[in-house]
Amino acid sequence: MRTLVGVFSGLIVLTILTVVTSRIDLGILNVPLALTIAIGKASLVVLFFMALKWDNRVNGIVLLLGVLFVSIFLIFTLFDTAFRGDLSNVDDTTIMDMEREMTGGDAAADHSEDGSAAAPADH
Amino acid sequence: MSTASAHHPKLQHHFVSMDQQFDASKLGMWLFLITEILLFSGMFVAYTVYRVWHPEVFEALSGALDWRLGGVNTLVLLASSFTVAASIHHIQNDNRKGLVRNVILTIIFAGVFMFIKYLEYSGKFSHGVFPGEAYAPFGDHYGHYADVPYAPQFFSIYFVMTGIHGVHVLVGMGIFAWLAFRGARGDFSSEYYTPVELSGLYWHLVDIIWIFLFPLLYLI
Repeated sequence: MRTLVGVFSGLIVLTILTVVTSRIDLGILNVPLALTIAIGKASLVVLFFMALKWDNRVNGIVLLLGVLFVSIFLIFTLFDTAFRGDLSNVDDTTIMDMEREMTGGDAAADHSEDGSAAAPADH
Repeated sequence: MSTASAHHPKLQHHFVSMDQQFDASKLGMWLFLITEILLFSGMFVAYTVYRVWHPEVFEALSGALDWRLGGVNTLVLLASSFTVAASIHHIQNDNRKGLVRNVILTIIFAGVFMFIKYLEYSGKFSHGVFPGEAYAPFGDHYGHYADVPYAPQFFSIYFVMTGIHGVHVLVGMGIFAWLAFRGARGDFSSEYYTPVELSGLYWHLVDIIWIFLFPLLYLI
């Protein structure tokens, strides 16, 4: 019971931590940090609340297999969607970056503080 | 063949012992949970693909969701996960009152979660923020999202992910109502509490899904 209370408190602390860190602009680090905290919280729940720490190994293996297949699903989908059209592309930039440059305005307007988006304003 | 004297009434004839039966049920539950994870992973992949395509849209629109409501809901669900874990701890020690009390607390937390979800949804619906084609936001808070490209996709992903998660919470409330009833009737003991254990695993998974949904949708 004491373990459960400890884990519960840890989860609350991590929740507060993820809210606080998301309010601070850490640039590129915001997303990985939030995901790391979420994975940490999920691990606490799996190990202690779901008791995998003391459980039959086979249940843990089933979970890890599930995680493995989710990763395959995610990564192989991104191989397609993140580099779409780039297989025959011989330019230095990706097709998506070129499209972003061409359309300029709308989508990039939110990001006017970084230099790359400011460039297409000329044409 | 041993005599039938030490035979627990809940032991099915094709299992050697209560322990074996318990372990088999639990493995089956984990396999089911994997199918649940895969169900949600389809939506997480959709989220990731759109986020990689339009990171600035997702970053801006997470501000459209109220992180306070999302945060409170995170704490509420964590508390409900704790009461589920506590209810299993109690029944392992033959404390039936503790079991029923914690199961009822879980239902209450789940109800609070759904109530806050209702407030969030109705706030969006009343400002024309609907999933899919019906998306037509207006008013102070949502009006300026009307012309943001890919904002409809963000809200559709938000509604589908939180909606299917919400359905799981409702199902969980039904399961826990059934557990509270059976627990009060005295069906469970430290010898036999498989339904409590398996429902608990289900509930923790629903909690884990929300642990990921909260930062992805509300914060970053």
